[in-house]
Amino acid sequence: MYRMKGILLIALVAALAIVKTNAQGHGPLYGLQTPTLAKGGFDFNAAVMSLATEDDQSLMLRYIWSYGITEDLQLNITTPTVINRLSEAPRTRGNSSMPANGDIEASLWYRFFSNAFGVGKRFESTAVLSVSTPTEDKRGQINVGNSVHGAISTGYASRTWYTWVGGGYQYYLQKSGQQLGDLPYASVVIGYRPNIFMGDYPKPDWRMFLESLAEFPGQSKIEGQVTPTIGQGEKVMIGPSFLGLYGAWGVSFGALFPAYQNENQNIPKEKYRLSFNLSYWL
Amino acid sequence: MKTIYILAASIVFTLHTSEAQLIKVDQAVFGMDCAPCAYGLERGLKKMEGLGNITVSLNDGKAYLSLISGNTLTLKGIQEVVKKNGFSARTAEILAIGELNKSGDEWTLKVNNETFSVAAVTDEEIIRNLAGGRVKLKGEVMDEDDKHLSDKWTIRIMEILPL
Repeated sequence: MYRMKGILLIALVAALAIVKTNAQGHGPLYGLQTPTLAKGGFDFNAAVMSLATEDDQSLMLRYIWSYGITEDLQLNITTPTVINRLSEAPRTRGNSSMPANGDIEASLWYRFFSNAFGVGKRFESTAVLSVSTPTEDKRGQINVGNSVHGAISTGYASRTWYTWVGGGYQYYLQKSGQQLGDLPYASVVIGYRPNIFMGDYPKPDWRMFLESLAEFPGQSKIEGQVTPTIGQGEKVMIGPSFLGLYGAWGVSFGALFPAYQNENQNIPKEKYRLSFNLSYWL
Repeated sequence: MKTIYILAASIVFTLHTSEAQLIKVDQAVFGMDCAPCAYGLERGLKKMEGLGNITVSLNDGKAYLSLISGNTLTLKGIQEVVKKNGFSARTAEILAIGELNKSGDEWTLKVNNETFSVAAVTDEEIIRNLAGGRVKLKGEVMDEDDKHLSDKWTIRIMEILPL
């Protein structure tokens, strides 16, 4: 079964590469970031995401189309192809601009502050507002409704060092008397590009990140009553990711591992998250 | 007959290349840190009519532009492309042919409907030797606020060149 999944995964990624449909921005893989597209710019991302628990492993392809309305305002739409869904899915955002679950999501990124103060150097801050609709009826044991997500991040970029700090909040609407708990979260990312990858454009450009994600899922409700045993529990994930850029192409991959998790006994512990992302700037 | 054609072509070429225009622009770009940044800027600049060779350097933080003869490009237009790509356009070194005029104590250079006021920090000897009329020069254009770009600039003349 897993062998088949692996073959399917490789075939899909190869097919995506052949048709030049690629993935996400030029920041971190999991944490919140700040860069926005150029005015009139368009890019396409395709990601393969997997989340492993003690009991099972999810597998999902996700696509995101982004358009730069202005140099500071970006519209994104992301859709999933869920290959294997977890019956007890942890509540998480997944990649920085993508839900980890089966949601279809539209989002606006607004870079409200930007100060480019040197060659390759800039400080900037970006706010995110998104709306999502699920592709499944239940998540865990709770009816899942539409949701609203807001986040804010700020960061520093240079030719050598990067850092981003951000936080967000996802609020789920009630569906048929049940409401999934909210998801507050925070992320910290540190990035570094070694001298060996400092070749000038158009040479390939690589950088590495250490990413950390803290999630604090709230309590779900059934008929207005809190259900403390379903899906709550804090979690801190940490892990490396790598980003390679060449011209209009980008590839990133990485993993997160739990540094701390306080799940309920009836929720399978999370083991790791994997992600692979291809980007193409049109 | 062949000689006449060559002479005529040379005259036309000389007249054409001595029209007021930007010839080269080395535009400083701040905030550009990655290959897609450079790619996006390069692609944006390539859409402008009148640009010849374009080289974007991440390590220098510059876009090196050679403009084709007879172009009508403006520095404002170039800096607007930089801004649309989400970066900050700073000082620019230009090679240009323009009309130099003096009004009171102030010298101004006109190139393609843009006005470059000669900065007081320009070398005194260069200012002393300035003469009105058509001139070819190299200079450093001072940084202007990206949010309020206009067709007025300040330039420190670095060198006057033969036309």
